[in-house]
Amino acid sequence: MTKTKRLNVFMYIFLTIVSLISVFPLYWMLISATNKSVDVSRGAMLPGTALIDNWKALISQSSVGLAMVNSFKYAIILTACALVICSLAGYGFEIYHDKGKDAVMSVLLLGMMVPFVATMIPLFRMFSAAKLLNTTIAVIFPTISTPFLIMMFRQSARSFPHDIIEAARIDGLNEIQIFFRMFIPTMRSTYAAAMTITFMNAWNNYLWPKVILQDDVSITMPMLVANLTEGYVTDYGVLMLAVLLCSLPTVIIFFLLQKSFAEGITGAVK
Amino acid sequence: MKRKILSALLCVAMTATMLAGCGGEAKDSTDDKQETTDDTAGDDAATDDAAGDDAAGDDAADDSAGGDQKLTVWCWDPAFNIFSMEEAGKVYQADHPEFSVEVVETPWDDIQTKLTTAATSGDLSTMPDIILMQDNAFQKNVISYPEAFVDLTDSGVDFSQFSEAKTAYSVVEGKNYGVPFDNGAVIAAYRTDVLEQAGMKVDDFTDITWDEYLEKGKTVLEKTGKPLLSCQAGESDVIMMMLQSCGASLFDDDGNPALVGNDALKKVMETYAALKEAGVLVEVNDWDQYISTMTTETVAGTINGCWIMASIKTAEDQSGKWAITNMPKFKDLENATNFSNNGGSSWAITANCQNVDLAKDFLASTFAGSVELYENIISCGALATYLPAGDSDVYAQGDEFFGGDAVSAKIVEFAGKTPSNNTGVYYYEARDAVATAMQNIVGGASVDDELQLAQETIESQMQ
Amino acid sequence: MSQVKEPKKRKMSLERRHNLTGWAFLTPATLMIAVMSFWPMIQAFILSLQTGKANNLSFGDPLANYVRMFRDNVFMTSLGNTFLYLIIQVPIMLVLALILASMLNNKDLRCKGLFRTAIFLPCATSLVSYAIIFRSLFGVDGFINTMLIKFGILNTGYNFLGHATSAKIIIIIALIWRWTGYNMVFYLSGLQNIEYSVYEAAKIDGASPMQTFFKITVPLLKPTILLTAIMSTNGTLQLFDESVNLTKGGPANATITMSHYIYNISFKYVPTFGYAAAMSFLIFILVAILAFVQMKVGDKRD
Repeated sequence: MTKTKRLNVFMYIFLTIVSLISVFPLYWMLISATNKSVDVSRGAMLPGTALIDNWKALISQSSVGLAMVNSFKYAIILTACALVICSLAGYGFEIYHDKGKDAVMSVLLLGMMVPFVATMIPLFRMFSAAKLLNTTIAVIFPTISTPFLIMMFRQSARSFPHDIIEAARIDGLNEIQIFFRMFIPTMRSTYAAAMTITFMNAWNNYLWPKVILQDDVSITMPMLVANLTEGYVTDYGVLMLAVLLCSLPTVIIFFLLQKSFAEGITGAVK
Repeated sequence: MKRKILSALLCVAMTATMLAGCGGEAKDSTDDKQETTDDTAGDDAATDDAAGDDAAGDDAADDSAGGDQKLTVWCWDPAFNIFSMEEAGKVYQADHPEFSVEVVETPWDDIQTKLTTAATSGDLSTMPDIILMQDNAFQKNVISYPEAFVDLTDSGVDFSQFSEAKTAYSVVEGKNYGVPFDNGAVIAAYRTDVLEQAGMKVDDFTDITWDEYLEKGKTVLEKTGKPLLSCQAGESDVIMMMLQSCGASLFDDDGNPALVGNDALKKVMETYAALKEAGVLVEVNDWDQYISTMTTETVAGTINGCWIMASIKTAEDQSGKWAITNMPKFKDLENATNFSNNGGSSWAITANCQNVDLAKDFLASTFAGSVELYENIISCGALATYLPAGDSDVYAQGDEFFGGDAVSAKIVEFAGKTPSNNTGVYYYEARDAVATAMQNIVGGASVDDELQLAQETIESQMQ
Repeated sequence: MSQVKEPKKRKMSLERRHNLTGWAFLTPATLMIAVMSFWPMIQAFILSLQTGKANNLSFGDPLANYVRMFRDNVFMTSLGNTFLYLIIQVPIMLVLALILASMLNNKDLRCKGLFRTAIFLPCATSLVSYAIIFRSLFGVDGFINTMLIKFGILNTGYNFLGHATSAKIIIIIALIWRWTGYNMVFYLSGLQNIEYSVYEAAKIDGASPMQTFFKITVPLLKPTILLTAIMSTNGTLQLFDESVNLTKGGPANATITMSHYIYNISFKYVPTFGYAAAMSFLIFILVAILAFVQMKVGDKRD
């Protein structure tokens, strides 16, 4: 009993240390967002009074609102499409697996292994030929279907009990109904994790949108942050405020969804 | 609860899939947006029209324009380049009420990526009318993608009004491709209060040699504990400034790398190593730390392009404690001067520009023709390379931050005396190779061996 | 006889129907990957056989780019660096993520949500701020040096990012810091598919936490572990952000990665896309081999 207790104490200490190390940069970011640039470069570690000034400077020199709306638009559409398309495929690959499908999966996996810098120019050429430059489609299309997400759903479908499928078939549900009514509710935890990760990747995507989008009205948050770091003088207070705003949505989404993929809700399907 | 989240998720997913399915629709909405911006721009022009009815600016550009009087520009830094471009737009608008300029804020790295992608794909339609280009990248881009730029040699811009060192960056095979913009003349800035503690004045650092700088630096370090100079490790800025001050380059006239047997370069690298060894020069790891060596008063001075003044000035409490003079020179080298250049950029017109005459006339009558413009933008620290601007009264005004000195006029003067430098097409390759060599030399490697190795690296990258 | 044959035939057709449904399910995703990844990949491969600058490309010696790679000092350095990161960082990170996930899956643990969010935070934090923070933490006058001097371990500040070995270590630390929480998310969601009763039973049988971890958690999470292993291998071999933002590849190319060098060749230097594409294909082949090995080892259905 004491052994378990000691282990528990050790666990709390360990987790606290790891958490503190993890949180420190965010703390620093928060502090910096409230300080003047010169104080940030002098290593301020305590809250300052410049938050409102930084905010005013930020909204006067950049269109934060627009960038936020755009980023949300791209990230939400992309995440939604990706979840549906990839989970359908992952389910298909695992539940109906045979040699042929396994082979296709292996080939698909190769798709994520080429560095993006190599495929960027052919992709650009493709969208330019299709007259789709500067459109939402061009931004999201290349990353909707990713081998990674398909594989994630395939791996988790492995633990989806086959007798449920059989039972459902006997009940007269067709295959699509089984997917929507049985698989999705059971795999809630996987969907929540996939949603968090996909949203984060979509939100932070920088290289491709910046190549494909040109006008001022389609700016995204990562582009806005990049704009702030360029120039002869960087205002670190303003920059950190922007960086903070850029990080928040992912954190909030994680916070809201974490219960679904981590709280002990096992035995929901019986 | 679970079910609710789930159904919400599904609804979103379905709508989004449908949205994505209707390709045309999504595209339309973007088009709409563009139209809206166009409309607002049009409205602006209309108001301007009403306001400036009497201004009947009617010249060649207007005739050939045939309607659209808007230019799109890509550049970065709202406080500096973008501000200047917008001011230029206003100056030009005074005579051309129909005219408007739309600036899209784009960091330099992004301009380079977009330019390369577009030019390689052969679809330049995504490019704006005018871009701001780093001087260091000018040769590379024009030679790699000559079809992407417009020749400005006979555009009406009088290039003799700019310092030769500056225009040289954007001249390719005898043709001008860029209108010079901001000044990168090198200044040496010192903390007068720190020098005083060591018993010295700024005059002791004016027109000196690097040998004297090293000796005086040692004294300052001994008496105050502060190095004279800080710079970023792994960046070749200081080396390149030193090299250009001797009128030397990393390439010969035929564009071949000339590192081995380059006496000036060898001397530069030895000097750098000696400064580092003595502790007079301290290396930091990034730009932020470099700036903070000045704001936190850990160094007694710096040497950089004159635009560094804007960063120095962010430490308002140090006002009056700084002074500016020229950089040290190399004693024994031919052509050595106390002047050099670092950074800076020029405007280029892209081949996608639908109204080249308008763009040319705009640049010729603003950045290459309006002292008024340079007077307007000096407030943001943008100093002219346009020589006539240096004679303006505004440039002769003293700056309290730098002890009341007329720094602007001084810098324009420095710029005029700077020897030009042959960047060549492979400038970035060479800079990186030299920076790598320098780090190895500081780590104890021999100068000759490292230069040999660097030369081989560049040659292999030129394949 | 016919009685036996009847249901078999029906089953066959049912199986065929399911088989087709399966194909229908995976078609949209597969098509999109084919168009968005494989087609550009093929074009990049054709490009890799061409030499020349910018748009002046020609098929000279089709293997010239592939030969050039092995004579290119900078590229060989970047290859070595990347593999070093892979071998050291990926195992540490995955084990740490697994330990954290199984700790956080403990029913009796309090403040779980807090711990989880805290550990996930690093990968949501913008790269810009994290690069600035790491550089300043490890600067000569930075927090780490101040601490080391205070505890008498060092006499003067050490320039961590200025020396080859320590700079590499910092990149590895930074990677672990940033991506452990990310991998933990997969393990946490994977753990949900393990019935808690299995753990209860193990507890009743008197299994120690260690035994539970190795005998139950690890084997049952195998599919997820495989996923994260392939992902991390892929991510590390394509590593770009840390090299660019933390060290700029320095000191003296000691930390430059392959992707960083490819980016330089494509966008910073005079573009030689054929060469850049050839290097990309080497990465592709390396990742594919490693993924294949991992699949062979880890992807067996019981």
